[in-house]
Amino acid sequence: MKDLVRQKLSIHVDVMDLLNKQIEKEAHSSSAYLAMASWCDHNALSYSADFFYEQAAEEREHMMKIFRYITDNGGTAFSPEVGGVNHDFKSLEEIFETALDQEIAITKSIHNLVGKCRKVNDYTTEYFLHWFIQEQMEEEQTMRRALELFDLMGTDGLGLKLLDERIPQIRDKRPE
Amino acid sequence: MKVLHQSQFFISYQCDKQRCFFIEFPHKTIKLGFCQLLAFRQQVKEIDLEAHFNGQNNHGMEMLMLCNRQHFFVFNTLECIDLKEFVTGTFAMLELNSLLATSV
Repeated sequence: MKDLVRQKLSIHVDVMDLLNKQIEKEAHSSSAYLAMASWCDHNALSYSADFFYEQAAEEREHMMKIFRYITDNGGTAFSPEVGGVNHDFKSLEEIFETALDQEIAITKSIHNLVGKCRKVNDYTTEYFLHWFIQEQMEEEQTMRRALELFDLMGTDGLGLKLLDERIPQIRDKRPE
Repeated sequence: MKVLHQSQFFISYQCDKQRCFFIEFPHKTIKLGFCQLLAFRQQVKEIDLEAHFNGQNNHGMEMLMLCNRQHFFVFNTLECIDLKEFVTGTFAMLELNSLLATSV
C-alpha cells in the first residue's frame, strides 16, 4: 500500500496538531500584548505602549510563520479564535512580569514541540523550530531587562516616566 | 482499494490508484482527498462528547459538512462516540503504513 500521507504531507500529523495549537498561543499572545499597549497608552506611558504594539505585531508574525509552514508542507492550518484577553493591570511592572511569564510559557510550548518532533523523527519541523528557540531566548532576555529597570530605577515620582523613556532601549543588546 | 480501519458503523479505505481515501457511512460512501480527510478529522476532534451527557447538547445530534460542503451528515451520540474511535483508528493505521514504508 502506498504511503499517501507522506506523499501529501511533509509534517507528522501529531506535530501538525501541536503546530496548530502553537498558532493559537501566538495569536493569544499577540492580543495580550495589544491589551498591554492599550493600558500603557491610557496611562501616558507612550514608549511602553509602542514597545507592546511592536511585540503584538511580532507575535502575529510568528503565528503567520507557523501558519505558512503548515500549509506549505501540505497540512491544514486553522485560523485561531482568541478569547479571554486580560485588560486589567495594576502597574507597568505587573505588565512586564505578565509579559515575561507569557514568553516563558511560549518557550516551554516550543520546547515541547521540539521534543515531540524528536520522538516521531520529524526532523524537518525540528529544523524549522530552531529559529523559534533562538527568538524565544531573545524575547525572555528583553523582558528580564525591563524588569531589571524597575529594580534599578523604581517607580516613585519621576522614576516611572524616566523608566518608560528607557523602554525602547531594552531591545538593544548590552554593550560588549 | 484497501481497508484501513473498520469501526461499528464506519469503514475507511485507501485507493492507491486514485491517490485518495473513501469512507463508508451506513447510507453512503464518499471520496476524500488527503486535505479533506484532515478536515474531517478536525471536525470529529471538535465534537464535544461531554456536551451530549451534561445537558448542553439536548438533542444529542452533531451535524458535519464534508468535502467543501458536498456532503451533509447528522450523527447521534452513539455514532459520534464511534466516529471518534474510527478517526483515531484510521490515522493510527495510516501512521503504521508510513512506518512500514519507511522501514522497507
